[in-house]
Amino acid sequence: CGGQGWGGERRLPCVASLPICPTGAVNCQVSLRDLFDRAVILSHYIHNLSSEMFNEFDKRYAQGRGFITKAINSCHTSSLSTPEDKEQAQQIHHEDLLNLILRVLRSWNDPLYHLVTEVRGMQEAPDSILSRAIEIEEQNRRLLEGMEKIVGQVHPGVRENEVYSVWSGLPSLQMADEDTRLFAFYNLLHCLRRDSHKIDNYLKLLKCRIVYDSNC
Amino acid sequence: MDLWQLLLTLAVAGSGNAVSGSEDPSGKPQFTKCRSPELETFSCHWTEGVHHGVKNPGSIQLFYIRRSTQEWTQEWKECPDYVSAGENSCYFNSSYTSIWIPYCIKLTSNGDTVDQKCFSVEEIVQPDPPIGLNWTLLNISLTGIHADIQVRWEPPPNADVQKGWIVLEYELQYKEVNESQWKMMDPVLSTSVPVYSLRLDKEYEVRVRSRQRNSEKYGEFSEVLYVALPQMSPFACEEDFQFPWFLIIIFGIFGLTMILFLFIFSKQQRIKMLILPPVPVPKIKGIDSDLLKEGKLEEVNTILAIHDNYKPEFYNDDSWVEFIELDIDDPDEKTEGSDTDRLLSNDHEKSLNILGAKDDDSGRTSCYEPDILETDFNASDVCDGTSEVAQPQRLKGEIDLLCLDQKNQSNSPSTDTAPNTQQPGVILAKENKPRPLLISGTESTHQAAHPQLSNPSSLANIDFYAQVSDITPAGSVVLSPGQKNKAGIAPCDMPPEVVSLCQANFIMDNAYFCEADAKKCITVAPHVEAESRGEPSFNQEDIYITTESLTTVAGQPGTAERAPSSEIPVPDYTSIHIVQSPRGLVLNATALPLPDKEFLSSCGYVSTDQLNKILP
Repeated sequence: CGGQGWGGERRLPCVASLPICPTGAVNCQVSLRDLFDRAVILSHYIHNLSSEMFNEFDKRYAQGRGFITKAINSCHTSSLSTPEDKEQAQQIHHEDLLNLILRVLRSWNDPLYHLVTEVRGMQEAPDSILSRAIEIEEQNRRLLEGMEKIVGQVHPGVRENEVYSVWSGLPSLQMADEDTRLFAFYNLLHCLRRDSHKIDNYLKLLKCRIVYDSNC
Repeated sequence: MDLWQLLLTLAVAGSGNAVSGSEDPSGKPQFTKCRSPELETFSCHWTEGVHHGVKNPGSIQLFYIRRSTQEWTQEWKECPDYVSAGENSCYFNSSYTSIWIPYCIKLTSNGDTVDQKCFSVEEIVQPDPPIGLNWTLLNISLTGIHADIQVRWEPPPNADVQKGWIVLEYELQYKEVNESQWKMMDPVLSTSVPVYSLRLDKEYEVRVRSRQRNSEKYGEFSEVLYVALPQMSPFACEEDFQFPWFLIIIFGIFGLTMILFLFIFSKQQRIKMLILPPVPVPKIKGIDSDLLKEGKLEEVNTILAIHDNYKPEFYNDDSWVEFIELDIDDPDEKTEGSDTDRLLSNDHEKSLNILGAKDDDSGRTSCYEPDILETDFNASDVCDGTSEVAQPQRLKGEIDLLCLDQKNQSNSPSTDTAPNTQQPGVILAKENKPRPLLISGTESTHQAAHPQLSNPSSLANIDFYAQVSDITPAGSVVLSPGQKNKAGIAPCDMPPEVVSLCQANFIMDNAYFCEADAKKCITVAPHVEAESRGEPSFNQEDIYITTESLTTVAGQPGTAERAPSSEIPVPDYTSIHIVQSPRGLVLNATALPLPDKEFLSSCGYVSTDQLNKILP
């Protein structure tokens, strides 16, 4: 089970307890309910880690620098037209919503990978931030696989092109100027926290709608 | 005076500043908090600040801006609702609320920006308190002191947990009514939670608050729930005195067990006998098993010898005693494995070798081993009819039995046996088995066992025994003369021995020699009578002469002892003609000397006295 505790924060519940298909099984059909349960657990866990990582970074590097006022930069995933409130989320069809989720997840593959490498290169890279970054990257990959499975069950057949937003913030992370670099990190972590919350919320909404028929 | 006023003004101003120091030094309005209770709306609150002077509170305004597009160039908008959230607040309803969209608000007072804040709605979520708290009694402990209750509540109504838009977790706190410190429980996701170990004599207060999962900020607490547990009667804690049946039963069983164990230990041996009866060991009447254990076989043997079936092997040590059994009735008995068997069953050559036919000069002595012929048997058992035989006389001559044998071999055994042919036997056995010989001819001295003797093969099946009268110091066996025997051996081909045999003084006790020899001696005797007499070169050891031979030559005048009359009993033994395997000795028939018969071809055995009688 994943999730080492960092000073008492919430831990990931044991995902291994959920039933899984044996590797190599072709026609194994894990129920949609189990898939959603697992996806929600993962998304919740990722958001937890993101929040903690952001708070850690904020406490350590961003205090007194006024980043917060400048941090309303756009995230690279803002171009994706995702529902922004409950009404919109309820109106959108769940297949589209699932696709959106996939897009957002795919958009974060690249940034997360670079985040890990760049955090490692930071001076006095704190272990807590680095370990969380590594964990988030791995869990994000797993969540993506799970989501693709869910899409395969909910909306089989249609396989859209892999659309995602390209992240171009890598040069900012590698700036020589420390302030600029730190702000780039801050912004990236802020966006990560936001997007993880969005995905978590979408999935919980979809789970209640699809599995429990809007009666959680 | 001016200096005093200046100081006073400064003092007042300073005090005035000190008074307002606890607040914002500038006294400007500022945001206190912005909050979204259900992730659908949010509201912001501010404080007005302290206004110096009599300036009216002024128009404080709130402007906000949100980035709905990539662009950040947007105008500030004013708060849509200053009323719904109360005073000094701005309420944004769901149409103005966008999640995951950055907002910035600023507070202006008279056009001057006094405060500014940026946030996202999902970051400011603080749910409303739960409603509908109630509690139910779970159980009361046996002691009646503590109780467990279950507290239930409802989520805040504006939170859409049913659709899963927001997920809440709750925290319960409780305390006794007169306590000041609240006890906190771990956050739970469900809307009911048990509370354990509440004292029955106390009253409690319970409250619950909620927060969005993954957030850190809790909402407001719910209303306090008052828990009044049912009071028991003051004497309810005392349990009724019940007769301690349980204890009595326990002690009773314990006591019985102790008694049982004592009984078992005292009668350990007997119980062991009952449970595991000893296996009966073999018991022989009269024999103490200790004897067997100690290995005293002699005593055991003596005891067991009483029984008929027991025949201990006494003869294990007597290896020097050898027996040759020629039992017709029991051909198998005692002939297997014994020396007799070996003697009889082996090759003729071997046996013959044993019985040693050598024509050498020393053949006579070496022809047979003294120990072979040494016997140790009871004379009474051997021959029934040998009692009437002449007393055993030791003859120091030696007769070459084997030479006789050989000569007998060369010559066909005499088939014409006198009617008085007996069936003597020679015992060349060392076995101390006093088996009575088949001396049927003891009384049939004059009878002819002729037909039997005529057949050499039949002879083989006949057991013959010779009574050993004595044993010479040399170790040779002196056989007593039996009745007239008909089995004889052709005279050995040793004329010189004959000459020596014919020595006058060759007559010894129980000397047996060839009848032919005797006859020759007798014939020669007249010639060498004197010499023979003078020469006791006759080997007086073990000379076997048939009385018959002596008898036949009785007619000879001899200085030697007179040959025995025809009535002289012939020894009931016969010389061995041939050893036939496996169990037979072919004995030469020695016909009793009829007056008209010739006995030259046969050798018989006579005692020395008989020989003396025969010989002149």
